[in-house]
Amino acid sequence: MTDATDKGAADTGVAQRYFIGEDDLRTLTGDLLAAGTEVIAPVAIDICQSPSAIAASACTRPGVAPVEIEYRRLASATELDLGRGLPELSLKGYFLPEHEALCRWHQHGTTVEVEPVPTEFAPRVVLAAKPCDSAALAVVDQVMNWDYHDELWNGRRAATTIINLACPVIDEGCFCTAVGAAPDDVKGADGLLTPVDGGYILEVTTEKGRALATAHEARLSADVPADTLGRQADDERAAVRARVAGNLEIDAASVRDWIDTHFEDPLLASLANRCNGCGACTSVCPTCHCFDIVDEEEGVGHGTRRRLWDTCQSPTFTLHASGHNPRDDQNVRYRQRINHKFSIYPLKFGEVLCTGCGRCTRVCHAGQDLIEILSEIDIAARRPRETEAGTPAEAGAAS
Amino acid sequence: MTGIAADAVPVYTGVADMRRIARELLEAGDVRVIIGWESGPRGARPVFVTDPADTDKLIFDTRCVHNLVTYLNPRRDHVAELGKIGLVVKGCDTKAVAGLLRESQVRRDDVVLIGVRCGGVLEENEIPAAVALTPENVAPRCYGCDVREPTLVDHLVGEPQPEPPRPVTTIDERVAALEDMPLEERWAFWTDQFSNCVRCYACRQVCPMCVCESCIVEKSQPQWIEPAAHPRGNLSWNVTRALHLAGRCIDCGECERFCPVGIPLTLVNRKLQQIVADRYDYKVSDDPENPTPIGDYRLDDQQEFIK
Repeated sequence: MTDATDKGAADTGVAQRYFIGEDDLRTLTGDLLAAGTEVIAPVAIDICQSPSAIAASACTRPGVAPVEIEYRRLASATELDLGRGLPELSLKGYFLPEHEALCRWHQHGTTVEVEPVPTEFAPRVVLAAKPCDSAALAVVDQVMNWDYHDELWNGRRAATTIINLACPVIDEGCFCTAVGAAPDDVKGADGLLTPVDGGYILEVTTEKGRALATAHEARLSADVPADTLGRQADDERAAVRARVAGNLEIDAASVRDWIDTHFEDPLLASLANRCNGCGACTSVCPTCHCFDIVDEEEGVGHGTRRRLWDTCQSPTFTLHASGHNPRDDQNVRYRQRINHKFSIYPLKFGEVLCTGCGRCTRVCHAGQDLIEILSEIDIAARRPRETEAGTPAEAGAAS
Repeated sequence: MTGIAADAVPVYTGVADMRRIARELLEAGDVRVIIGWESGPRGARPVFVTDPADTDKLIFDTRCVHNLVTYLNPRRDHVAELGKIGLVVKGCDTKAVAGLLRESQVRRDDVVLIGVRCGGVLEENEIPAAVALTPENVAPRCYGCDVREPTLVDHLVGEPQPEPPRPVTTIDERVAALEDMPLEERWAFWTDQFSNCVRCYACRQVCPMCVCESCIVEKSQPQWIEPAAHPRGNLSWNVTRALHLAGRCIDCGECERFCPVGIPLTLVNRKLQQIVADRYDYKVSDDPENPTPIGDYRLDDQQEFIK
């Protein structure tokens, strides 16, 4: 098993650019499906389709047609949604499923037979992934290959070719550029689609990306004039970067160091009065990767060892067998989430454990707002520096 | 937001009184924290005010959906540590206070309740400014509100409000539509809905009546409910959650509103309320002296199921 950390890395040099028309992109998708390749992509789901219509009260109103976008395994190329909305859940579940078997056991008298699960996976393709979602995979690759190399994570990473679709920026909750990602990132992915007149510019940046392009050459045109289509793609990419940068600007290194040295600061110690501790933020987060392992006894002498998503927002996350709980209230648990993402992980792995997708803020109906919190920490982190910078001038004026 | 924003919102005159009472309570030291609503970056949200000077943050309008009684829940250590609470409540929210009193989870003297007369709230509150209620945007649970004049409060502010509009489709109508489905179709419906569950337990965490020190889903010896988000685990969890609230649920709808994957828990809760009303002639109210069926024994209880 090779490290997944190699897989997402972009090669050096200028990425090969192709033009692909929208129809050709669907045809390419159809070709992949026809060849038996699993294709995962955003799908717009009409949540008011029978029989589920009754589930959403919005569906009971005339003239309302709410859709939800989700990453799904495509059944046909027509399902592929290129509307560039944000899927409800990130891509995380396709690499670290909500739950998965680690092994099965069968007890025969005094012996136990352990049946392993496969760690090799059939090749699959993710199309039109959100750049914040693919970047998150590259960030999590680090912890999945730190001391233990997680075969299931790495197996799925190795088997998957990811082609991003440049994001138009969803709303004021997006802040990817503040945490080292970008709306046109290829981090964690193998290529990027950028919309231009009549179709997309496809740039492939890794071996897996090039292999995909080569295999589907017939659908692509290598003729991308730098002064027309090429420039359009560049302009689109620059425009979305500028648009999202306005949502939040922080000095991530100062934030990291300030959190590290201000564990007991009132700002960090009372972030979460309104927080209900539900952990919905960690479920929708593309980088939250903590898991629990349980044994499910499925009958006498046999069962499944399974891992499932866990959340640091639950009291049981750190409950010791003795009954002691080092993180015994919600403020402390919330501080841990901020600390882990913006200080502990960057100090250990050199990367922020957040790609700025904003899902945590959008999902929180109690009103916890990560942009607001990071801004406050950033201001606190800048304060001493500004005072220091101001001191000589003041001293000069006084003398 | 366009389209509905055009409706003029009448000014809620109780806000000035609410702020004054909150300030006086804090200044006098009668409470240490006021929990109410403020206008946040993404709409109205809960706010914790400890400084009398900050009481001007407090608002009340159609966006104030949250049932703040959840913060009275005794398992919220970090809120209890703040000291005595002054809580802003709508009439419907006082049903949750009554529930906590009924089950001896709080003492009435532990909290000062500032009641607001409410004419209904929005279903979708994460908008920059309040809008007037219409059949399209009103929270369906507001239909038929029976606590528009809260009684279980220490202070009551605001002028009497008009009755909330009837939603395009009521919760009862949706429950009835589900009942009209053939059994297999209904089973498919709920299997599909529960399959979306990611087991974050937001429904439990936000529920003002989920007061257990240790939830059954966290018991691992034995493991009563499997924590994995597979169909077996999800069905066990969602059915158990609902049953534990039968006759206790105060119908605030916060579980459904907080669900990150949109499971229509209100429909399950409403069905259970109907069954409890039918079998025990019981409707959850704001009267703490009105005992719940689970905490009460009557000789005339129906018991034909005992054979």
